Amino acid sequence: MNENSYRVKMTVKNVFIRIFLFLLIAGLCFTILYPILSLVPTVFSAIEDIGNPNVIWLPEKFSTLSFTAAIRLVMPNGLMTIGKTVLYAAGMMVLQVFFSAMVGYSMARVKSVFSKIAYFLVIFVFLTPRQSLLLAQYINFKHFDVLGIMNLFTQAGEVDLINKPIALVMLAVFCFGVNQSLFIFLFAQFFKNIPKELEEAANIDGCGFVGTYFRIMLPNAIPIISTVAILSFVWNYGDTYFTNYFSPNAGFMSTLLSTTFVSANKNFILNALQNWYGIPTLNDFAFDAVKQAGVLIYLIPLIIVYLIGQRKLVQNMENSGLVG
Amino acid sequence: MKKKFKMTRTLRRQLFGLLFLLPFIIGFVMFFLIPITRTFFYSFNIISVGEKGGMEFTPNGIQNYIDLFTKEVTSESKTLANLFADQNMLLLTSVPIIVIFSLFMALLANRQFKGRAIVRTIFFLPIVLGLTVVISMLKMTTGSQITETGNGLFSESAISVFLFQYSGIPRNILVQVMGVIDNIFELISQAGIQTLIYLTALQSISPSLYEVAKIEGATAYETFWKVTIPSIVHIILFVVIYTIVQMFLESQIAEEVYSFAFEQSKIGVGSALSVVYIFNVLIVLLLVLLILRKVVKKYE
Repeated sequence: MNENSYRVKMTVKNVFIRIFLFLLIAGLCFTILYPILSLVPTVFSAIEDIGNPNVIWLPEKFSTLSFTAAIRLVMPNGLMTIGKTVLYAAGMMVLQVFFSAMVGYSMARVKSVFSKIAYFLVIFVFLTPRQSLLLAQYINFKHFDVLGIMNLFTQAGEVDLINKPIALVMLAVFCFGVNQSLFIFLFAQFFKNIPKELEEAANIDGCGFVGTYFRIMLPNAIPIISTVAILSFVWNYGDTYFTNYFSPNAGFMSTLLSTTFVSANKNFILNALQNWYGIPTLNDFAFDAVKQAGVLIYLIPLIIVYLIGQRKLVQNMENSGLVG
Repeated sequence: MKKKFKMTRTLRRQLFGLLFLLPFIIGFVMFFLIPITRTFFYSFNIISVGEKGGMEFTPNGIQNYIDLFTKEVTSESKTLANLFADQNMLLLTSVPIIVIFSLFMALLANRQFKGRAIVRTIFFLPIVLGLTVVISMLKMTTGSQITETGNGLFSESAISVFLFQYSGIPRNILVQVMGVIDNIFELISQAGIQTLIYLTALQSISPSLYEVAKIEGATAYETFWKVTIPSIVHIILFVVIYTIVQMFLESQIAEEVYSFAFEQSKIGVGSALSVVYIFNVLIVLLLVLLILRKVVKKYE
């Protein structure tokens, strides 16, 4: 009897804990998704209807005008702009992964003074906020010159690299792209944990340093490579720092979005909407609707990459060597 | 003969290692060392456009630094001392919340339940949705009953009215708590990577430790403090540092540097601000490390 009541008590307790956890998790999921979900009624409403207090979740008249308007406003080359940005992010990703892996490998596996110093420097770079160097870096790119070699090529002895793609490529190649010090650190931590025997076996079989790296180490590093690749793609695609300051005219989505939809442009955009689509009156909500339609379009490639990649993310990070 | 062969082999290895490090070393000199020394140099000079174009430097001592804190104001006409104070206060309140909250999310995502894969997908979504562009674009410019990021939802709800009137909790504390809950989306949006790091750390804890704890009759609470926390204490340290760095990256100070340099063409003052900014970050990190080192040692 006594035991029975204990059992009942425990089951009741368990059920309550389960319900509580379920509500908690569901609530958190809802909070994360809320900003996106709440866009739906706004962006799919007919532009004249927006701001109608009757509409909370279901638009009265379904319309995709916000999207057309957003594409026309933000993307000079239509959907090609998205393609261009995806290509840019993918290119940066490849460069970042390739060079970070190389540096990380050398830092972790070669015992020398240089690699120790490099380890320290990578952490130091990671800790120093990159914006604090913005000014000097900008001037550096504006009047670019390495040890006077530009004297050979140009009259002025310097070149202006602002707005040239080469500036961004150089940053990624020389390991100073978006969050690249973190990537190097992750690679170094990963390579540290790979057993030494693997390398020795390769050496005995006559594999040189470069051969060992490309044939043995890189294939073993697939988990960390894919983790870094996903993060690198997402961060490069969403980057507004490097693109806005060093390449503002390149026409990448993040730059275009963040420069088009500033509140100073609101009246201009509303006027444009009225003229283009012959809508007599528009309120401020239309501006938000178009802006958010723009964000949704911008998010599509990101979400796709994320959905493909995230399942691997957890199991890969586990092997990343950061843990343990 | 054999010894010589070995020598050359380690030498070769070191050379190749250096070769692999080369991109970083070049980058470090070009994009870090030169800019940082120049920033220091600019901060002690008045910079003007010379007669033949190019830049002209007039040494100015520490006048730029004095101006920075006495004369100059930010674009929102705050004093710079205020800007730094605000930034550090924000850090002090947000970092603990983010660090603890993301651990909490990771603990939830680590449990066994149906639909876990979907929940995890959603939990890490802030990695994508937390990008600065997305956050700034999702904000409503109009301000109305459709508040975008969930701001103000909770403090206007019936629960909060009830709490304010009947719970007897001091009003000051309640307002603070409400503020945190109202900004929960912004909080979550910065916790994506942290949750990911925690989750992987949690999964690498050996299950046998939990079995032992269970056999010994430890409660869930005891298990958490005696098994989980000591196993991931290093990761917590890493997450704290990562969060601080991330918060500084998103701080408003960066925009001010840009505004001083390019909108008001006071490159010297902008550089001085950068230098103060660097020192602020490094001092905060040093303090945090010194304090947390002791805590970590205790748990080891």
